[in-house]
Amino acid sequence: MNQLREPNFDRAVAMVLRVGAFGCFFVMLAGLIDGLFMSGRIPLDIERAGVLLMLATPVVRVIVACFLFFKEKDYRYGYISLGVLMILLLGSVFGIGEH
Amino acid sequence: MVTALLVIFGFCAGLLGALTGIGGGVLLTPILALHFGIPIRQAIGTSLVAVITTSAASSSVHLQRHTTDIRLGMTLELATALGAAVMAYLVGYFNRGVLEGLFAAFLLYSSIMILSKRGKAPSDEDSSPAVNGDVVIPPYEVQRYPLGLGASLVAGGLSGLLGIGGGPIKVPVMYIFMNVPLMVATATSNFMIGVTAAASAIVYYRRGDIQAEIAAPLAVGVFLGSILGARLAPRLTTRIVVYLLVAVMLYLAGRLGFQLLRGIL
Repeated sequence: MNQLREPNFDRAVAMVLRVGAFGCFFVMLAGLIDGLFMSGRIPLDIERAGVLLMLATPVVRVIVACFLFFKEKDYRYGYISLGVLMILLLGSVFGIGEH
Repeated sequence: MVTALLVIFGFCAGLLGALTGIGGGVLLTPILALHFGIPIRQAIGTSLVAVITTSAASSSVHLQRHTTDIRLGMTLELATALGAAVMAYLVGYFNRGVLEGLFAAFLLYSSIMILSKRGKAPSDEDSSPAVNGDVVIPPYEVQRYPLGLGASLVAGGLSGLLGIGGGPIKVPVMYIFMNVPLMVATATSNFMIGVTAAASAIVYYRRGDIQAEIAAPLAVGVFLGSILGARLAPRLTTRIVVYLLVAVMLYLAGRLGFQLLRGIL
């Protein structure tokens, strides 16, 4: 059951992670460089966008994997991915807590 | 000024983490708290962002070598993400002293574990630059799912509590108890770390415990450091680096413990 020979699946998921990691790296870097030349909101907003992009990357990775599992008609793992996604989303709803 | 220091510090932690295969997460939280004067809860949240960055970058490499068991990873993520999110939520109710004490204990424990393992071969992970292309993995059948899920729940909880990736827990569980080859266990653990850390980081972010002006320079540094570390690792004798890491960890545990005692007395 658990064999790893699914090059396309691996490649698609790897692509999401790579784009996310490098994308957010460059966005954050842009924010830092921007911060050298100006102060105020703009650099901070760029940095914040980088952080949000980083938080979103694993979520997108789960969505893509979920989609691929359903496409392969591997329902069991499709539902497992959906479960993981639910937990991630619930975290963003209940993430308030006391400060 | 602080920004530059954060980049440099992140770089060093990422480098050390990749060289030793232990991951820099253990160092990030306490140094941010002790030397940058960041409240410990924010330090944990910030460290989680850096952990996601490294996991995404290194996991994409593992995936392209086809050594990651995505199905196994996704299954265990049910437990790690749940543990991480719940614990991240609870951290909102912990006071500072408790967190610092827990962290000091965890640093001490990890140092002892690393030192006692030193005798055996380090059987490192990321380091192997993999003779490009076909890595041969023997067929295996994953066993003892309940045990693996239980351990993953704990690993996830620790991740949400301390801002670490938790690889040193997940890898041995998969390798020893679940009958997964070491190479696959390492890659799969790396794969899971991103989602685990994200599950708690989202909670920290919503609570306002992640400051972009701290997290961004740190993540940039860690990212660069871990890439360089992964390149250097095969060429460097890691023993000295490991002792360096343990020395830093013990120092941090001492500082945290001292601070805690001073608060009590």
